[in-house]
Parts: sequence; C-alpha cells; structure tokens
Amino acid sequence: MLLSLLIFLPLLGSLVVALLPSSQRGQFRWIALGITAANLLVSGLVYTAFDQTQTDYQIGQQIDWITLSLGNLGSVSIDYLVGIDGMSFPLILLTTVVMLVGVISSWTIRERQRAYFSLYLLLTGTVMGCFLALDFFLFFLFFEFMLLPMYFLIGLWGGPRREYASLKFFLYTLFGSVLILLVMIGLSMSVMDPVSTALATGLINGLEQADTNVIRLIQAQLANGQIDPARIVHTFDFRYLADGGNYLPSSFLSLSGETFPLGIPARMLAFWAVFLGFAIKLPIVPLHTWLPDAHVEAPTPVSVVLAGVLLKIGGYGFLRIAWGFFPDGGAEYARVLAGLGVLSIVYGGLNALAQNDIKKMIAYSSVSHMGFVLLGIASLTAEGINGAIYQMVSHGILSAMLFLIAGVIYDRTHDRRIDSYRGLNHAMPQYATLTAVAFFASLGLPGFSGFVGELFTLMGSMQSAWLPGWQTALATLGIVLAAGYFLWTLQRMFFGPYWNRHETNSTPGTSSLADLTPRERWLLIPLGLFSLILGLFPNLIFNLSSAAVSEWLKRFLVE
Amino acid sequence: MDDPLEIALITLILLLPFAGFFGVRMSSQRWAGLLAMVLTGLGLVLSFSLLRITTVPMVPILAEWLRLFDTPFFVGFRHDRPSVMILVLAHFVALLVQIYSLSYLENQAERPRYFSYLQLFVGAMAGILLASNLIVLYGFWELVGLASYLLIGFWYHKPEAARAAQKAFLYNRIGDVGFLIGILLTYRLFGTFEFALLNKEAPTLVGLLLFMGCIGKSAQFPLIGWLPDAMEGPTPVSALLHAATMVAAGIFLLARIHPLLSPDALVVVALIGTLTALWGGFSALFQNDIKKVLAFSTVSQLGLMVAAMGTNNVTGGLFHLLTHAFFKAGLFLGAGAIIHALHTQDMRQMGGLRQRMPITFWSYVICAASLAGVPLLSGFLSKENILGGAFSWASEQANPLAFLIPVALLFTSGLTALYMTRQVRMVFLGEGYLSGKPENQLHEPNWLLLGPVVLLAIFSAWFWFALNPLSAQGSWVESWLSVTNLGHPITAPETGHAAPIWLAPVSILLVLLGGWFGFRLRDPTPNRLVVRASVRYGFLDEFLTWLVVLPIRRLANWLHRADIRVVDGLVNSTGIGTVVGAHLAYALDRYGVDGLVNGGAWVAGRLGKLTRSVQSGRVQSYITAAVVGLLLLIWLIL
Repeated sequence: MLLSLLIFLPLLGSLVVALLPSSQRGQFRWIALGITAANLLVSGLVYTAFDQTQTDYQIGQQIDWITLSLGNLGSVSIDYLVGIDGMSFPLILLTTVVMLVGVISSWTIRERQRAYFSLYLLLTGTVMGCFLALDFFLFFLFFEFMLLPMYFLIGLWGGPRREYASLKFFLYTLFGSVLILLVMIGLSMSVMDPVSTALATGLINGLEQADTNVIRLIQAQLANGQIDPARIVHTFDFRYLADGGNYLPSSFLSLSGETFPLGIPARMLAFWAVFLGFAIKLPIVPLHTWLPDAHVEAPTPVSVVLAGVLLKIGGYGFLRIAWGFFPDGGAEYARVLAGLGVLSIVYGGLNALAQNDIKKMIAYSSVSHMGFVLLGIASLTAEGINGAIYQMVSHGILSAMLFLIAGVIYDRTHDRRIDSYRGLNHAMPQYATLTAVAFFASLGLPGFSGFVGELFTLMGSMQSAWLPGWQTALATLGIVLAAGYFLWTLQRMFFGPYWNRHETNSTPGTSSLADLTPRERWLLIPLGLFSLILGLFPNLIFNLSSAAVSEWLKRFLVE
Repeated sequence: MDDPLEIALITLILLLPFAGFFGVRMSSQRWAGLLAMVLTGLGLVLSFSLLRITTVPMVPILAEWLRLFDTPFFVGFRHDRPSVMILVLAHFVALLVQIYSLSYLENQAERPRYFSYLQLFVGAMAGILLASNLIVLYGFWELVGLASYLLIGFWYHKPEAARAAQKAFLYNRIGDVGFLIGILLTYRLFGTFEFALLNKEAPTLVGLLLFMGCIGKSAQFPLIGWLPDAMEGPTPVSALLHAATMVAAGIFLLARIHPLLSPDALVVVALIGTLTALWGGFSALFQNDIKKVLAFSTVSQLGLMVAAMGTNNVTGGLFHLLTHAFFKAGLFLGAGAIIHALHTQDMRQMGGLRQRMPITFWSYVICAASLAGVPLLSGFLSKENILGGAFSWASEQANPLAFLIPVALLFTSGLTALYMTRQVRMVFLGEGYLSGKPENQLHEPNWLLLGPVVLLAIFSAWFWFALNPLSAQGSWVESWLSVTNLGHPITAPETGHAAPIWLAPVSILLVLLGGWFGFRLRDPTPNRLVVRASVRYGFLDEFLTWLVVLPIRRLANWLHRADIRVVDGLVNSTGIGTVVGAHLAYALDRYGVDGLVNGGAWVAGRLGKLTRSVQSGRVQSYITAAVVGLLLLIWLIL
C-alpha cells in the first residue's frame, strides 16, 4: 500500500490541480508542495519498513490486472505489481527528495500554473511508477507516460529553442522505447509464470502451495517439454523474467539461443536493444546529444528533475532489465560496455571543457558522470555495482544543485554565458561560496558524495575480472577533466575584479545582482549538506543496496 | 591495544582544526586570529603529548566505514614516531605562522576567512600524517589540495592569484590521478589499503603510479610549475604550505609506501629527485623575485629528499624534511617581513637592508646558511646524511653510472650556496634601496613578525638534532626517524649510511666555492638564454602547455564542434531524412498508387522474410504476439 501511495498521490494531485477552478490558482503550487512533501514522508516510512538484509523484493503489492486466457494456446497475465529492493530503493529516496526540490524551485513559475503543476505531479507519479513497477508491462506504461509531461514541461516553459529541444527529447526517447517494447514482447513470449502455470497444470491447487520445490519441479517439466503449451501462462513479472529457469526452450529468447536474426544470437540482439533504449536515457555517448539541448532549453526545475531523476531510469533499466534479464549479454560484452562508459566519461569531460554556456557545461559533466555509472555496472563487481547506484544518487543530488546554481544567475540576467561574468564573488559572495561547494563536491573532493561514487566505480572496474586495467586508467582522466572544467568556470566567473556584461558601471557596491534569496539559499544548503553526509557516511546508501547487489551478482557466476 | 588516551588524543587532534574551520570562519574579525592560535596551540600540546606516548607504530582507531555485503572498508588512524614528529612540526610552524599573520595581514576583514583556511590545512595535514590506510590518506591528501587552492587564491580579486590557485590544483590532480590508479592497483594486488599490511614489494608500475602522488604534491619534475606560481598567495602561507609542511607530504607518502617500491621503481624515484634538485637549483640562480628564489630552492630541496627516498635512505629524507621545515619557514617569514616593509618583491630594488634590519638580517643569514649546508647548522647534518646515503647506495649498485646521482646531488648543494649568497647579497648588502631615501623610513618589523623568524633561526642550529655538529649518525633524530619506527620491515641491514671520509670536507669546500661565486659574480644580462632559461625554469611550463594543455583544449573544442556537427548532425539529418522520406512516400501515394501497391507488396515480402527468421515455428507464440499487440492497441486507443 505504501508504495502505491508514492505513485497515486501525485497522480491524484495532478488530477486535482487539473480540475480545480481557476480561482484557486494560488493553491496549485501548495498542492504540489504538499504532495511531494507527503511523498517524502511516505518514503521515510518505507525506509523504516525496509529490511536491509533481504535480497529479494519487499513491501510489494500485487493485484491481478489483466489475465487473458487464450484457450489451448496458453495465456498471458499482466499484473499491477509494485515492490522495491536494494537497487531501486536508493533511487526512490532520491526521487522523492529531488521532486520536492523541484517544486520549491518552481515557486516563481507564473505562466499557466495549472498546467505546469498538473504535469509536474503527473511526471512525479510516473517516475515513481518506473522505479516501483515489477511488471514489465506496467514499467513500460510508466516509462512511456513519463515522456508526455516532460515533453510539455520543456516545450511550453522552456527557452527560445524549446520546440526543437522538446521534440528531440521526445523522439529520441521514443526511439529507445520502441526497442524496449520489442524486447518486452519477445520476453513475454519466451517466459512462463511458474506459479500460475503450476496452477494451470494442476500441480498445485492454490497459490499458498507454491514454494521453491514446486517452482523447481515446474521448471524441470518446462525444460523437458512436459507441459502442455496451452497451459503455459506467459508473464511480464520481473521476478520470473530474471530467472533463467522460466524461459521456454526453443523460444525466441531461450537461454540456449537458437535464433539468429541478422546473424546475431537473439538474446544478444535483445540485450543490445534494451541497452540502447536505456543508454539513450542515461545518456551514453554517442546517444547523448538530446541532453545538452533539453537542459539548455528546459526551465530550471525541469532541468533539476531531468538530471536529478530521469537519467537514473537509464541506469536502473541497465541493472534491472538489460543486465538483469540478459546477464549473458552483460558478461559477453563487458569490455565494450565499459569502453562505452569510458568514452562517455572522457568525451563528456572534454566537451564540458569547451563550453561557454554554464548549463551546457553542467549537462556535459552529467554525461561524464553518468559514464561512471555504466563503467561500474559493466565491471560486474560488488564495488562497481554498488558504486554505480551510489553514483546515481550522488549525481542526482549534485546535478540538482548545479542546475539550481545555473538557474540563479539565469534568473537575474537571462544570460548563461560564462564569459559574461567576472569576479561574481564580490557581488554575490554567498552564491559564490555555494557554487564552490557544489563544484568541488562534483569534481570529487573527498568528504562529498562525488568522491565515493567515483572511487567505488573505479575500484570495481579495477577489481573486475572482466575488464583490463587500462580502461580504468583511462577513465580516471575524467577526474582531471572535471577539476579542469569546474575550476576553470569558477575562475572565469567568480574570481578577478568584478565585471558583468549587463552593467555599464560594474562596481560591486552598485551591482544590480542580488545575492541569494532565502528560498534559493535553503534549497542549495540542504543539497550540499546531503552530499556531505552521504560522502562521510556512504553506508547510508551501501547498506541499502549491498545485499540485493550481492544476490544480483550471482547470476554472473556461471562461468 | 586500544588505549583510550591515544584514541582521545588522535580524535582531538583531528577534530579541533575542522571545528576551527567552521568556528573561526564564523567568529568576529577581532577574535578569529586568537581563536585559531588557541586551537593550533592546543593541537601542538596534544601532538606533543601523543609523541611522548608513541613508541612502536599503533593503530588505535580502526572503524568500519562501509561494508559491501561481506567486504568491509575501514577508516583508521595510526601513530608512529616519524609521523607524530612531523605532526608536532606542522603544528609548531602553523602556530608561528599564525602569530606572524596577525601582524602581516593588514586587512582585518580578511582574518576569519584566512585563519579558517589555515585551520582546514592543519586538520588535513594531520589526517595525512595519521591515516592508517591509503584511502584515508588520499582523502586528506585532496583536502590539503583544497586548502592550498583556497590559500593561494586567497586574494581572488587578483587574476594571477586565481590562476595560480587553479594551476596548483590541476597539477596536483594530475599527480593524484596516477596516485589513485596506484591505490586501486594496490588494492587489487593485496586486497587491503592498510599500511600495516602493505609491506611487500609491488610491481614497479604500481610503485611508480603511487609515486605520482608525490610528484604532484612535492612539485617534482615535470610537475614543478605550480609551486613558483603558488607564491601569489600570502607569504606566511607560502612559508607554511609551500615550503615547510604541505609540499613535504609527498616525501612523507614515499616514506609510508617505501616497502612497496621495487628496486627499479626506486631508481626512477632517485632519478626524478636528482633531476628535480638540479632543475630547481638552476632555476633559482637568476630569479629576481625574492619569493621565487626561495620557491625554487624548495623545489630543489624536495628533489633532494625524494632522491634520498630513492636511494633507500628513508631516514635521511625525513630528517631533511624536518630541518628544512624550520629554516625554510624562517626564510619565507623573513622574506615576508622584508616585503611587508618595502612593498616590493623585486630583489633588484633592495639592498643595504642589513643596517636597518639587523635582527632580520642575522636570522635570515642563519637560515640561508643552514639551507646552503654550512656546518654547525641543521641543514648540514641532514644534507650530509642524504649525500652519504646516496654514495653508499651508489657503491652497492652494479652500474657505475649510479654515482652520477650522488655527484649531482653534491653539485646541487654547491648551487644552493651560490643562489642563497646571491640573494643575501642583493637584499641585505650594498647600498641599493637606501640610496636617496629618507633615513628613518625603514626599520625592524614588530615582534609579532620578528619573533617567529628568530625562533626558526634558533631551531636551525645543529644541537637540536644531534650533539655532533658534523654528523647526525647515532643521534636521537636518526633513531626516531628510522624505518623500524615507521613499521617497515628491514629488508637490508641498515648501513648507517657511513659517508665516505672525504665527503664532509668536499661538500664544505663546495659550499664555500658556491658562496664565493654568489658573492662575487654578477648576473649576466637578462636577455641571455641562460638567464631566461633559469627564470622560466627551463621553459618547462611552456613545454607542458605546448605538449598537454593546448592539445587538450584544442581537442575539447574540436570534439565539441564534432559533437554538434557530426554526432548531433547525424541525429538531425535522420530527422530531416525521415521527413523527406515521408514527403517522398506521399508523392508516391499521390502519383503512383500502383507503385505504392507494388512497393507495399515488396516491403511486405521483405518483412515476411525478416519475420520468418524470427519465428520459432510454434503457432501459439504467434498468437501470443498477436494478443500482446492487440493489448497494446487497446491500451493505445484507450
């Protein structure tokens, strides 16, 4: 129930905002604030209920949704199935935090408040659904639905090139979705639901009889072809998709791999298809070009949510679906995948170095930092995977902070060019201090979360039996580059004598640039503190994830 | 094992400065300096108490930082005699520097920021010294880099200062990345980060990568360039960070990881150290900025210490670190007093200060003489130890070329005498500054400035370190700084670095010779290549800019253009192509229905072929697919 609240509170709120009379306009943002705050509270409750030692899904809820009996041709079941484990829960906590931050930073939105906050809450609910859904069909529904509010949020409240950026974002992600959809259908055709099938075959008489022995038995029957195809119940359930024993022999995605469309084993093809689908989301070079455009054009709170949360769905999809259902693909191509991660790290870092637009600089730094996530996952080590999850949380907080920082200066001058400012330290000392904190935290200063994320993903890739050491060595270049682009930006914008392109008489005393407002300050300070606390006590995240990760890694032990 | 006193002392030593970092920042201008000094003074007392109870290496604090299912990672702190000695030293110099800064820092409004950064530095330095494993050390290592960045860029309104700060951090980062790779490889090899367990030889490459941390932090070749630029920071900061303690962290690191270094790695370390010693010495020769001379002499002396580490003389390296800290801090603070009085750093505008500032002069001369290696002073003892160690190391090597290293080091000490004498001559002797100026304009600085300088000069005498003014052999320093006290296994019998009998006379002779040259010779004209090469430290920065910085920036810009034109261009042209294709399809539909039908049939045929290859030949699968598709349709329509 708790988890469903996380999804349906925002969806309900979205509906309420959409239906309230316009005379209540002033209440929209308060409703959004209340609901995101309530979500944070609920996730706190979930935290108290969460068992860190459990490796399986927990706090779940299952409602039969659609079960189509197809006579003697088997059947397919789609459930409303939600639940969490150590891999999704850190991201859910992150989402509730970032969504709340996003609402507060939306406080100054004046145009079309009804549509804005309605869409924002719709986005919140669908993102939550993505992380919570344990049924592929349900997941895909949320995954697709997320595009809609995002498209409008960028397209209606964005900057000058918003139409281009939002369309590009939409089409790009949609392209990825199509690939994911194809694989989803392939998977459901190839996998049975052992419990329902046991019921259908009469092996058991009730759900309560389904234990591991029964499942083992029915899987053995499936492998030996003893089950009447008419009685097989196909499924989208993540738990069954992740279990190799449920794959129908000689099906499209069967483990033995008998189909070779385009001359490639079908499972490898499927792996690459879902990988591409989520790689667009993460994003991975060279599928990243929607990101700088979307970020530059999106209004500040949307950038915050986009970088803080939406990118993480890519990493989550890698773990849960691409690697989760196709461990053979993840193992087979470990080097290539890690290579793509390293490419993203270095390429993103170099591009960030070349930017003159602070938002673009931050966008490319996101590409670089997300490369660490892929590198960590590709390493297939406990350090790497846990590090990747941690890095996602850390980047979620820090990129939210960074985009808020870019928003502060843009709100004042509507100019994001780095070379439009010098010596801002004199005019806006608080802003400068918090920017320095965010930059140093992002470039991996120990004590802040960025360091731990990079350290553990790199440690994982160095430890990995699958990867050569030089890949890790190359990836560390990203750390130097990060220091380069962040410090260079700091130097160009904040140090030296004060100057600002928009003022003819640039002296600190007469500057029109006001320092941080209390609202801005109290958004940035908690985020900085968050990063600091996570950096000093990384156990807060690792304790959540490590048990589930160690279980998850067992699927790669077959070698 | 878990002595509560040790735990309490270490915890306090680490916590006080970090509490001070915030506390001092928030305190008023009037009290900031005093609060900082009280904290550092307290830290000094605490670290002295810790030194008194330190005998063998101990790890009193070892706590689980995080756990990945069954793999724990630890945060730990240890203490051993060498590290706690340097800890006492760091606190002592920091205290003196803060006393000095009270007077030096004229703008009171800057005080809370300044003193809080110094607290951050002290805390980070203590962390490096007390860390029990590589991860903790690396963490504090980076924090020291941050403190250095903040202090170099303290006067951030000066563009040069901001640039120098950034350069320092980036140079350090380059070294640190190698260091980090080395740490990760060490973990891969040994499965631990704890120094106590890292006592076996690692492959040469791993050792060299770890050494890169030292190259960055201790300004070794080729990452020298940030240190002279760091002189843009306030002079007391230069004294504390960029001469006495922070740059020595690299030396300390080498001492810590010494057992990991293979003989081949050690040769490289020795070579880099020797090259740096020469490079720094040569670069100091013709500098005209009083601080730059000192900066390059620091580079040169750090090279000497690194060479000592490379020649298996850990004790000698640490010994020189200790003595060097005193006299070099004294020199910088003395130089600061002069800059404070004259408002210039250009030695060509100085001269004749001896009459007006006699106490400063004598303190400065004592420190300079100690640096040059004049007997009866501490610098002589530690330098002899290093040279002696280098000669005995060379005699053990199979390759006779190994003797080049001690000979080059010996030559460097002659160079040191030369440029220090030149500096003393230009600043204090002759008429220079005083000619044509009113009589009473210049006088001794106040005692807040002078006291620390005098004290540091006093600590440059030999007897603090050894009773024998000509050799430190068998002295308390040597035994306290021994490798056993670091917790290292003794691989070879400690030779005691018995110096050749002729070494002391020869080096004294060289010092005299260097001094005589420095006193007599005048600089060649500034546009001579040798002068320009010295001032620009062998054009090293120009070379690195050309080799690394420019290519990377060019690559970044080029990649960004490629990103827009090629990568994004592909995306856009796909979009445009689709639209064009749609129009074509429309034209086809409009002008040739037949063609469309035929085309449709063809496409269907192709698709059929494609899908046939996808199929397993089982009817129920098709139906399932159809149903799923139908469901999707239903969902789409609804």
